[in-house]
Order: sequence, then structure tokens, then C-alpha cells
Amino acid sequence: MPEKRLLFKNIDVPGIDGIEVYEQHGGYQSLRKAVLDMTPDAVLQEVMASNLRGRGGAGFPTGRKWSFLPKDGRTRYLVCNGDESEPGTCKDQEIIYRIPHLLIEGVVTSAYAIGAEDAFIYLRGEFKTGYAVLERAIAEARAKGYVGDNVLGSGRRVEITLYLGAGAYICGEETALLESLEGKRGNPRLKPPFPATAGLYSMPTVVNNVETLSAVVPIIQMGGAEYAKLGTERSAGTKLFSVSGNVRRPGNYEVELGKVTLRELLYDIAGGPPEGHEFKAVIPGGSSVPFLTPDKFDTPLDYESLQAAGTMLGSGGVIVLDDRACIVGSTLRLMEFYRHESCGKCTPCREGTMWLNQVLQRLESGEGRPGDLETLADLCSNIDGQTFCPLGDAAIGALASGLKLFHDEYEAHITKGGCPMGEVVR
Amino acid sequence: MNAENLAKAKELLHRFPKQSSALIPLLHLVEDQFGYIPEAEVQVVADLMGVTPAYVESVLTFYTLFHRQPTGKYLIQVCRGLSCQLNGADELSRFLYDELGVGRNGTTSDGLFTVEEVECIALCKNAPAVQINLDFYPNMTREQLRSFLDKAAKEVRSGA
Repeated sequence: MPEKRLLFKNIDVPGIDGIEVYEQHGGYQSLRKAVLDMTPDAVLQEVMASNLRGRGGAGFPTGRKWSFLPKDGRTRYLVCNGDESEPGTCKDQEIIYRIPHLLIEGVVTSAYAIGAEDAFIYLRGEFKTGYAVLERAIAEARAKGYVGDNVLGSGRRVEITLYLGAGAYICGEETALLESLEGKRGNPRLKPPFPATAGLYSMPTVVNNVETLSAVVPIIQMGGAEYAKLGTERSAGTKLFSVSGNVRRPGNYEVELGKVTLRELLYDIAGGPPEGHEFKAVIPGGSSVPFLTPDKFDTPLDYESLQAAGTMLGSGGVIVLDDRACIVGSTLRLMEFYRHESCGKCTPCREGTMWLNQVLQRLESGEGRPGDLETLADLCSNIDGQTFCPLGDAAIGALASGLKLFHDEYEAHITKGGCPMGEVVR
Repeated sequence: MNAENLAKAKELLHRFPKQSSALIPLLHLVEDQFGYIPEAEVQVVADLMGVTPAYVESVLTFYTLFHRQPTGKYLIQVCRGLSCQLNGADELSRFLYDELGVGRNGTTSDGLFTVEEVECIALCKNAPAVQINLDFYPNMTREQLRSFLDKAAKEVRSGA
């Protein structure tokens, strides 16, 4: 089964980043339908019926998340998470830069559904150009009445405010993002209370990923029930997968969940391994999830199947390693990342990532000692589930699985006095 | 801050439902103007926000895109995310260090170039990726980097 494009349907149309071309290809029809023909609750019901799950990584049902907002008359906010920082993930970037109006339409439609007058799009600091792209697109949408005090003459106000982060992976975690959006350090908050009851400025808030909000557009267009027919019963719809690393045709590919196996994605869609090489392992859901080895490549790409195979769908960031890649060096690289990005609030994550880093560095540079592998496993189990936010668990995802799946390779770094594959990762 | 940025700053103080949100955008204005956050500007931002300089410091030091030291006219950031590293990112960094005679986070003595290795910049499908003054340079090679360095140096010499 090839790609199935809903979000990316018109991405290759020249000029689709401009509002005229976007409209010519059916753009803003979903917003029109929602705001002029449907009540906010009817829009929510369609999203519920679609079985859409959050595309940022956690996979929480979107309609349910929206329904948690208390009906107490307080100001509500919609926040779009465009902090895309999970290594291996570059799908939101492509939506923002190439089809900005799809995101804006999704944001306004969703804000209407949840009764939010103010929506915020939080972009990672590196997306400075994306900020300018969205700024221009929002101005176009405002001029056409899709954004502003009186959306399409409905009497409903939806304003979009852009916000640029400044370099911090942790701000992809929704409560850290809210702290950052309030102008503070991006430390995650204690939950509960969840953002639905006390989010931005302590008001009821929904935080959704860029891809999630963009998916609301085809859902309203085709109807939730039709969308739910795509994919599998529990993993409905389409999902963007970012394929990168050692692969012939890296790229963002949109496929129906559960209808394509990892093997089909890697070989049929992404072109297979580079000439003269074989695949060794894949991290299928962004750098925070466990490895899959080629014997599991027939796993269908959906939330449940990947979980059953011992990993996670996560953000859909598929990092591919071929036979040149050193697993120890790769997990060291990832651990350096998590050590750097740990906010420092929780001891197991702050200290644990530093210690893991030291031991991995020791192995890679030929100074590994007997007992180091036990130390690594012990450190992993002392971080697992012991931190405030998911960063701790994320930090050990690849390493803990690597220690099991490639135990011999870690062992060899001790017995052979360093990396048998040379000084760098490949 | 120059007059133009000061005017922007005043607008930012009222852009958000709560003024606290203006802090990070104000720091972006300073970083964009100076290439880093000078000590004196911490005070300026603190005064605008009605907070202490220590509070401003506590926020700005959390974020890697805010620099405490001056950076070069061209801030070259090589992505060292795993996907980029699998595609030769380390060779690009080494090339830049050799070519420019600087170490990690170093700035050339003429103040033209700063080289940093940064975490994943969300261009994984275009590995190895580099950003220069936050503009994306996908699928980079040493040859492309060399011609960028040559062109930039030439422009500066000719007074552009």
C-alpha cells in the first residue's frame, strides 16, 4: 500500500503556501462548514467520532482531551505545539513551512470547537523562517475574514498569536511549553492539575500538536465517521512518518495507520538501505523509543502493533541505522542529547543522564570496565518512571532496548578496548 | 536596544493576555540586534518588564539560542542529531574547525564566524543539516560550506 495523502494532498501544488491557491484547492471549506453550518459541539462530536489521536507522541485521543475542558465560563485557550524537537522528527516543520494555511484552518476550526477566542502557535526558536511564513499567512487569512473578531461573519472571535521559543527540547512537553509561553523557564509542571483545568495563565487550555490540529481539516471535510474508516479501529486515519538516517530516500511520508508495515515504509516507499548495505536497526517513533531489529520489520505501523513489538509509534520519527552504525556510539549520541536537554528539575534525570553519558563515553573510547553494562542497566531502571515528566523515560528508551538487543556489541566495546567500528558513529 | 527595537518592545509588552509572556520575545529582540545578550541589556529588559535582572538571567540562561558572549556575524550551527551524525555531521564540524582555526563554540578573531554543534534542528530528512543565522542549509557538503565561507569573507572584505 503506497502513501495515502490527506494532509499532504496538495503539498506539491505550486504556490499552495499562498491563500489564493490554497482556496482554489478547497482550502478553508472545512472552516466555513464548521463555523457557518455546525455548532461547536457538533464539531467536537465529529472529532470524537474520527478517533483522532494526538500526533505529537503520546497518542492521546484528541476529542477526549477537548471534552475535559470544564464548562465553568472561564476563558479558554487553544495552544498549538510547534516545538518539534524530537530527534528524527521533521514533519511539523514541513506543514508550517509549506502548507501554513492548513495549520491555520485547523487551529481556527479547533478553537471554534472548544470555545477559545485566543489561540497560540508556539514554535521552536529555530523556526524563525516558519514564524515569518505563518505571520504572512495569518495576515492573508485575517484579510479574508478567516481569522479575527468576526470569523466569516459568524460573530465568533478567533485570534492567533505566534510565539517563538528559544532552544529547549523540554518545551515540547505540554506543561513546560505553557511555562515558556508565559515567559518563564521551561520546567514541567506537576500534574494534576492538567492543562484542561489549569493551563495557560491558569485557565482551561488544550495543547495539541501541529499535525493533530491539521488533521481536523480533513476530518471536518469528510466527516468523523469516514475518517475513522481509515487505518485500524484503534489507530484511525493517516500519520506522517519522517524517515531519516541511513536510507536511500529520506523524507516525510503520509500513510494510513496499520495498513503499511515498517518493511514497506523502509523499502517500497523510502527506497531501502544505501547501496551495498543492510539495515541493522530502526528507532521508529523519535529518539525516545526502543529499537526494532529487522526480524520485526513486518510490524504494521500503528500504535498497538508497535507497542506489541516492544516499541512505540511516538512522533513517527523513523531513524534508520545500517550495518555501518555503532549501536553504542548511537546511544551515546542520544544520551548526550538528553543530558543536554534535561531541565535539571528531577534528580534521577539530571544526574542519571550525566552518569549514563560518562559510562557510554568510557565504553566508546576504550576505557570500559567489567560491570559497566550492569551499571548502565541499573541506572536505566533508576530513571524509569521516577521523573516528573516523560523526558527521563525518553532518555533511556533506546539505550535500555539496545542493551538487550545488542548486548554483544556493548560487551565487545569492553573486551576489545573501544569501538570496533571506528571513532565515529558510522 | 535601538529606537526601532524599543518601539517593538513597547508593543510586545501589550501583545499577550499577560505581560510575563513578553520576556522571551524581548530577549529575541536583543539577541537579534547584538548577536548576544549584553549585560547592560539585561537591565533594560528587566526595567521594561518590571522584574529583577536576576530573574531575567534565570530565564535567558535556560534557553540555548540566547548567547552570553558575542557571536560572529555568521553563526554557523551544525546539527549533530543522530540522523545528521549518521550522514557525516562530524566531518562537517571538523572541516569548519580546521578551516577556521576555532574550537567548539569558538569565534574567529575577525569576528566573522562562530561555529556551534547543536541538537536536532528538525531537518532530519535533509541530513546533514546546518543552519546559518537560523536559515536552513539542508544536505550540506564540505564543498558547499567552503563556498559559503569564501563568499562571506569576500563580501566583508569588499565592504558589503
